[in-house]
Amino acid sequence: MSQIRIRRGKLRPARVAKYAFLVLASFLSAFPFYWMLVSATNSNQAIMEMRMFPGANLIENWKTLTAGYALGTAFLNSLRNATVTTVCALFISSLAGYGFVVYRDKYKNLVMSLLMLSMMVPAAATLIPMFRMFSRMGLNNSLLGVMLPSVATAFLIFMFRQGTQSFPDAIIQAARIDGLGELRIFLQMYMPIMKPTYAAAATVTFMNAWNAYLWPLVILQSPDQITMPMLISNTMNVYVVDYGMVMLAVSICTIPTLVLFFALQRSFVEGILGSVK
Amino acid sequence: MKKFLSVLLTVVLLASFAAVAGAEEKTTITVWCWDPAFNIYAMNEAAKVYAQINPDVEIEVIEVASNDCETRQTAAFISGQMDDLPDIVLMQDNSGQKFLSTYPGMYYDLTDKIDYSNFADFKVNYFVSEGRNYAVPFDNGCAAMFIRTDILEEAGYTLADVTDITWSRFIEIGKDVKEKTGVPILTCEMGLADFLMMIPQSAGTWYFDEEGNPNIAGNEVLKATLETIKQMADAGIVYEAVDWAEYISTLNTGKAASTIQGCWILGSVVLAEDQAGKWGVTNIPRLDNIEGATNYSNQGGSSWLVLANSENAEIAADFLNQTFAGSTEFYQTILKSSGAIATYLPAAEGEAYAAPHEFFGGQAVFADIMEFSAQIPKVELRLYNYEARDALRDALQAYRDGGDLDSLMQEAQDTVEFLMME
Repeated sequence: MSQIRIRRGKLRPARVAKYAFLVLASFLSAFPFYWMLVSATNSNQAIMEMRMFPGANLIENWKTLTAGYALGTAFLNSLRNATVTTVCALFISSLAGYGFVVYRDKYKNLVMSLLMLSMMVPAAATLIPMFRMFSRMGLNNSLLGVMLPSVATAFLIFMFRQGTQSFPDAIIQAARIDGLGELRIFLQMYMPIMKPTYAAAATVTFMNAWNAYLWPLVILQSPDQITMPMLISNTMNVYVVDYGMVMLAVSICTIPTLVLFFALQRSFVEGILGSVK
Repeated sequence: MKKFLSVLLTVVLLASFAAVAGAEEKTTITVWCWDPAFNIYAMNEAAKVYAQINPDVEIEVIEVASNDCETRQTAAFISGQMDDLPDIVLMQDNSGQKFLSTYPGMYYDLTDKIDYSNFADFKVNYFVSEGRNYAVPFDNGCAAMFIRTDILEEAGYTLADVTDITWSRFIEIGKDVKEKTGVPILTCEMGLADFLMMIPQSAGTWYFDEEGNPNIAGNEVLKATLETIKQMADAGIVYEAVDWAEYISTLNTGKAASTIQGCWILGSVVLAEDQAGKWGVTNIPRLDNIEGATNYSNQGGSSWLVLANSENAEIAADFLNQTFAGSTEFYQTILKSSGAIATYLPAAEGEAYAAPHEFFGGQAVFADIMEFSAQIPKVELRLYNYEARDALRDALQAYRDGGDLDSLMQEAQDTVEFLMME
């Protein structure tokens, strides 16, 4: 507040241009989101006429959506998949990232480099062999099948490794002297202190798991395992698209990631900064 | 007490066996398809028809988007893990040759199960591989011109004036309509790429020759196609919508007077209830000075396939034969409720097809579309349809920007040849 007051007299053209640009940029990034929300409350006809204000069709859209699609099933499935994946991925990857920094081994940098190389392989290339392997193990249509490939990702391990490098070694030494076991050092000392990194990793992992499309599509073929992205794909693949209903489905689909992001926003920024320091 | 328990247990066991045996008598056929108001509805109606014929069969329809259907089939075929696949799938006609030639033996041979003389030749041909048939044609993609008769009238024309015409006449009328009413005569998606498929087929030509080699450079029909599209765009009579949503909105809000599209667009046209009575349907323009040019073509559409791996393939084939390939009655029902236009030619004789359509000023549009369908030229679709279409789309864009057409078409030919070599 005080800063604004101090600078008020100096409306220089450069400053005006800067703010105009920022306003424009934020408008451009926020507008699609606004339009999505507004369209969810409008009828198809109104959307076709480019109506930009909230309408009264929200309940109607909700009725069409829930009557035609298993919204509840898809939402709960997605929520279950994403939550369990996130929890497991955070635990396993942070344990690995921690290990890479805290323990000494001749080959640890080599192993890390190999791990990083795996990031170069596109997911689509491993899809078929993985599908073959998983179906032979009988993991089709199961939570385990959908989450296993993403519980230990090179990206997350790297992120935790970078984060751990700023973790004071003295704490670990002190804990060891006090007689704490290695696992308990990790659980009771490391995890609470690294909260910002966990928050950042949780946001990214949850978002990826929530939006995951290709892998769930092939491994979860049973209709009772349908996820939100699959459901949205279905709503769009029709001759006569009901955009009001689709926008409502898309809006609902963004809620969980949005809630998670706002809840962890502060930690998220710290965590990202921490890992790139 | 012990005796009583053992008797009880035996009874329970026997009862559960009986229940299992009873359940086994019912065969379940699973189907993957998309669009609840259209394909899924039609499939469920077909299930009702078949329940009268064979009550021991249950049809379970599962909604899967068309791209998702293809992804899952690809994954299953390549990995050899086909347990999760359904018995019947719906497939876009344009994908037919790709799947049949890439995964031979994966689809059930329907040649002797279905009477294909009841379907339009061009449609059957999409799923013929090495002389065998693999699909029951369903959703009609017959191209038609949907046009605002009130706007035409304002400019002094009638529906008859735009029927059986050439593209040059269409452009002429378009200019006149634009001048008198200010409305562009045609709307389509940006780039006019749909016409790159519709126009060549209307003249019985495709991007490939009989051996399957690219037939682009020096192809008179394709050259005329690109020239026509450019003339049309240059004349300023086309509204190019940035995406599908805007395209539909231009139809419904009167920003353009017509669209030339697969007949399935009808479902979107009739959404603008305030325009009831102001629309008409006719055939599409034909190429000027090209031998074999017709006023009929196809855009989109899909067909039912039975998977060879299915334990119930024979029953699934019988189901399709008795419904989608055998019941005129059934097609009347689904037409009335969903506007799903058949490619089963005898269906056109039913009362629902002959009925006048209020939205189109009492025109019997369905009968007209069926009549168009029977006259669509047959073309040989191939594995690389979309790649060739995309190469031509790039050529069209460069041509519209002032490039030399002959060398651009040679370039497109080279691109497709290169892609096919890989």
